[in-house]
Amino acid sequence: MITEITEKEYGALDHAAPKLIEFYSKTCGPCKMLSFVLKDINKHKPDFPIYIIDFDENRELKEQLGVKGFPTMLFFKDGKEISRLEGLKQKPAIIKAIDALL
Amino acid sequence: MSNKIRFISQDHLITRQNQAEKEFLAAFAEKKPAFEQPLVVPNPYLINPLCALVMFSTKDAVAPTVTIHGKRYERENISHTFKAATDHFLPVLGLYEDFANKVTVSLPDGRSITLTINTEKLPADVCRCLNIQASLDYLQDNIMFLTPAGKNLPTAYDYKGDIRWLLTENTMFDIKRVANGNIITGSSRFCHMPYNATGLIEINLLGKIHKEFRLPGNYHHDHFEMEDGNLLALTQDFTRETVEDMCVLIDRNTGDILKTWDYRKVLPMDVGGSGSQDAHDWFHNNAVWYDKKTNSLTLSGRHQDAVINLDYETGDLNWVIGDPEGWPKELVDKYFFTPVGDLSKFDWQYEQHACVVCPDGDIMCFDNGQYRAKVKEKYIKNQDNFSRGVRYRIDTDKMEIEQVWQYGKERGQEFFSAYICNVEYYAEGHYMIHSGGIGRENGYASDSLGAFLDMEDPKNELRSITVEEKDGVVLYELETEGNFYRAEKLPLYHDGDNLVLGDGALLGSLEVTEEFDTVPDAEEVFELPSSFHNIFIEEDEDRFVFHGKFEKGTLVMLCLENEAESHNYFINTAAVIHLAMCSGAFLEKDDRDVKIHVSKKGLHGIFKIKLIINEKKYQTGVTICCP
Repeated sequence: MITEITEKEYGALDHAAPKLIEFYSKTCGPCKMLSFVLKDINKHKPDFPIYIIDFDENRELKEQLGVKGFPTMLFFKDGKEISRLEGLKQKPAIIKAIDALL
Repeated sequence: MSNKIRFISQDHLITRQNQAEKEFLAAFAEKKPAFEQPLVVPNPYLINPLCALVMFSTKDAVAPTVTIHGKRYERENISHTFKAATDHFLPVLGLYEDFANKVTVSLPDGRSITLTINTEKLPADVCRCLNIQASLDYLQDNIMFLTPAGKNLPTAYDYKGDIRWLLTENTMFDIKRVANGNIITGSSRFCHMPYNATGLIEINLLGKIHKEFRLPGNYHHDHFEMEDGNLLALTQDFTRETVEDMCVLIDRNTGDILKTWDYRKVLPMDVGGSGSQDAHDWFHNNAVWYDKKTNSLTLSGRHQDAVINLDYETGDLNWVIGDPEGWPKELVDKYFFTPVGDLSKFDWQYEQHACVVCPDGDIMCFDNGQYRAKVKEKYIKNQDNFSRGVRYRIDTDKMEIEQVWQYGKERGQEFFSAYICNVEYYAEGHYMIHSGGIGRENGYASDSLGAFLDMEDPKNELRSITVEEKDGVVLYELETEGNFYRAEKLPLYHDGDNLVLGDGALLGSLEVTEEFDTVPDAEEVFELPSSFHNIFIEEDEDRFVFHGKFEKGTLVMLCLENEAESHNYFINTAAVIHLAMCSGAFLEKDDRDVKIHVSKKGLHGIFKIKLIINEKKYQTGVTICCP
């Protein structure tokens, strides 16, 4: 399940649940590519929540989470950031980070 | 072929040189030219316009002498006597450009002929000598070879500053004469940004490539010939997240990798960072030196302001020369040195290059000095800074260090190079200090690296200054346009075979280029991409390079397809900030211009090249053959 959210909606998420938060930009080629990678992962893990957030329009949240660039993927569990991947990554690296949450 | 796509398929330079050699040898065999009417081939190996080959036969084996006449007077003549033979293939090196060069060939029996070999003017953008202080007495038959740090060319200057040697290929980084008299330097073949070439090339001064040593992790910065002829070369593993943190030993005959040193095993990557460090290029290894006495490797890491020493056999860390601020105490206590002697004259080195181990174990390097501090608050601006050659004496029992010589601090920003450069040890008190990375804006040392300066702005200038000092007296100083990575003083001729005939060889191997396993949805259209993208594909024997122009944020994927399989390569169009740019050879003026190298290793068959640009998959009309 891939859902686009804003920083306001981020506050309302179930923070205990494992999840992937991706910061992207519409002006970023690697982010566009990553969107296809995440769609592919979603086909294999349809129940795992993936949230995507526009880096440029949600600046408070990206400051709060220490996100410096895009694409950046944050992997959360029990309200804590367990790992992060910066830049475009292929499926195996992302699946490995997801599996570490489950 | 549409004018929207450019495509060149060309044999490797080695193959073209092999063919050229076969052609002039066939002409020689057919004509069997006599001494009085020799066959003269200008630029026989295609890439050195300031050389020629003179060929003739003699009935008896004799040792001919070639003399290249000086432009001004006899004392400037360069002469070399070759080994006795009946078939003679004599390299003529050091011709003047745009000049009717007089070349005399003489035989021991007193016969001689004088040829006139005309040369053309070198390209307008060749870097010229601006000032030179030198004498024939000092320089003798040596000339100063400079290797490029940008799109300039490898060039050598005589005692008057005249260019006497130049390659029209942009070979890069270190240049060293090896035991057999050949030169080893970096290949000009692009592989990965910012400046990684396929490998090393072994050439003679005619420009003939005897061997190209390809490396899967490519070559950058520096290499070193071992006593047995094998080569140490700096490289990396592109499957990792970090770069410029490995050294390999290459078999000189096969190109195989015999041994690897990985600095990630002995150094923390997140401490001691210089002002240019990032997580990707955490060490920035720019020099290697093997010391037989201690059986160790000394390595320079610009981005940790550190010169480190590793045990050759085990790869274990022996010591670190550098400012210890910011390093963990347990490492400082175990591996770092304490300064002794006249501390008023002592300075640590920062963002250094080109470490050298002197015969007595002293360590020299070029201390670029960029930032000249470990913490941001203390960084020194380039225009208040200095660069220098420095020599340290180290006591590895007491872990003490003393600065015993330096040259350059007194010259301040005028001699400042934020990057590149080298030093050479000739003898006690006799050194070369090459400050080849000078960049100025409005006359002040620039805050940008030379490769990034806009040279269309008349307020900007790039300079390279090479100094030689003996017993505290400067005996040589060369100032040129442009930035040059290293300087190496060499005579044009050597006592070995100045030309060995026979095919050059391509050794080692490139990597299997990483593919992308997700392919974006795209509608295939039977049209070429817009001419805006300026697509250019260069095919070589072992790889191809794709060039194109794309606005930032464009989704681009290169696709190789045939009926049985497809291979897909993501092309990054995002802005990339390079904190180091030791060679700008591959840097494009327009940052929308991108290129990607794809190795043919692992690919077999004939593939159509297609291109995904955002939501469409375009044709290119180009097919690539992978044997």
